[in-house]
Amino acid sequence: MTPRRAELPLGGDATRRFIPLIVGAMVYLAALALAGTFALDGTVQQWSDSLRGALTVQLPGVAQDPEGEEAKARIDAAVGLLLETTGVLSASALPYAQSQALLEPWLGAGDLPADLPIPIIVDVSVDTGARINYEDLGQRLEEVVPGARINDNGVFLSRLVTLARAVQLVGLVVVFIVAVAAVSIVVFATRAGMTSHRDTIELLHLIGARDNYIARRFVTHALSYGLAGGLLGLALAVVTLAALALAARGVDQTLLPRLSLDLTAWVALLCVPIASALIAMITARVTVLRALRRLP
Amino acid sequence: MVRFENVGKRYGHGPEVLRDLTFRLTPGSFHFLTGPSGAGKTTLLKLMYLAQRPSRGEIEMFGQDIGKTRRRDLPPFRRRIGVVFQDFRLLDHLTALENVALPLRIAGARRERIEAHVSELLAWVGLAGQINARPPTLSDGEKQRVAIARAVIGRPNLLLADEPTGNIDLAQGLRILHLFEELNKIGTTVVIATHDRSLISTFGRPELRLGNGELTVHKAPSVIVDEDPGGDAADADDGRSA
Repeated sequence: MTPRRAELPLGGDATRRFIPLIVGAMVYLAALALAGTFALDGTVQQWSDSLRGALTVQLPGVAQDPEGEEAKARIDAAVGLLLETTGVLSASALPYAQSQALLEPWLGAGDLPADLPIPIIVDVSVDTGARINYEDLGQRLEEVVPGARINDNGVFLSRLVTLARAVQLVGLVVVFIVAVAAVSIVVFATRAGMTSHRDTIELLHLIGARDNYIARRFVTHALSYGLAGGLLGLALAVVTLAALALAARGVDQTLLPRLSLDLTAWVALLCVPIASALIAMITARVTVLRALRRLP
Repeated sequence: MVRFENVGKRYGHGPEVLRDLTFRLTPGSFHFLTGPSGAGKTTLLKLMYLAQRPSRGEIEMFGQDIGKTRRRDLPPFRRRIGVVFQDFRLLDHLTALENVALPLRIAGARRERIEAHVSELLAWVGLAGQINARPPTLSDGEKQRVAIARAVIGRPNLLLADEPTGNIDLAQGLRILHLFEELNKIGTTVVIATHDRSLISTFGRPELRLGNGELTVHKAPSVIVDEDPGGDAADADDGRSA
């Protein structure tokens, strides 16, 4: 029995050669944009978790005797005032050694000059539901410890999160633009295929083929190049992400947020080639059916 | 089977190619369609095989008013019509067997049945040795026979042929016409557009003659005229279109 050959030889079209490459390039871009969005999502979550309900108070350090009586008095005064404030759950000063460690990335390791007043950091946790008047608290702290300053992590956090969300939005816009471009390419390829096979399509129509019968040939073709291009693009994106992850290993983690993909992100990435195939199929079907309506 | 009522056809804003065609083809009839080049024979056939819609008038096919039939309901009607196109319209990338099998494939026939029937028919039209040949390797006469086989493979109720013997020798032409006659005997209505007067006189069938966009019906010149309206004669107003 001879193998069944397609009535519409779409596989031999010129589009067959370059459309999978274009779809692959688009899926590559979409996958990277999506990966970036997901990676940032994890980081934003980390920032939110670590900073929510926490603030720091910075007290002026004592230059010659950072752990002496003077320093201790300032800490006691500030901590005492903080603990009396409604909504403050705990307040404790970071040990001097830890404050030094925080400065290490900027000032380097080793003994710091004795005359350098290293600020005293008081770590404060607050009830997230409490409404604390930070302005008033700042003034009262200033009164008991002149030079005391509240670092409002909430403001810092909200700006950081806003920036991160904006970047995520850009990532999603990129994915959307890529999808629109993919639809345009499929419309172009399908129309080109219909033009080059116009006589065959007309013949099939005249001998009784339904529109769906003809459209199925284009849909199958679109599925093949959508999936092939999608898998190619995804494979390249995974290689790129792996290379970036490898490069990030050598970077100091204190300078960069930790960018990693969770299971949801990987599932979403795996869905990209499936989505590209679906977009190609649906677009091809709609394009063909609309064009066939012009036949009697 | 086929009924035209005051049908007119024009292309764009041009003059009417066909005017006020009114005729009826009864089931099982056999007609030749004649007329000078440009008379509108191909246009009339196109209207009958539903490749075009009339500019005016009413066309009824198989008891259904085509003008009132939804587009998506037309494919079953088209499957009941076999067409031999003047330019064959074979698909070059398919073999002769696959070309002939197209109507059956579209109708969803089983593959085993398709191959058996198609092979048999191709043998009958003298192409047993070219089952796997592709149209570019066939002569015009062979292509025409493939086109004819494709038109009749589905045992259509209505067979329309546009110059089906134009590229084949007399012996083959007669053989093809006999095939059409056999189909006609089992109930297929046949309309053959031709310029070949010898075929018309040999087969002695009535003639639908087109001229100046109008249609007249002529009884077979050399045969006994059958007055039975259910017979071969087309039913037209006084043998003439209105």
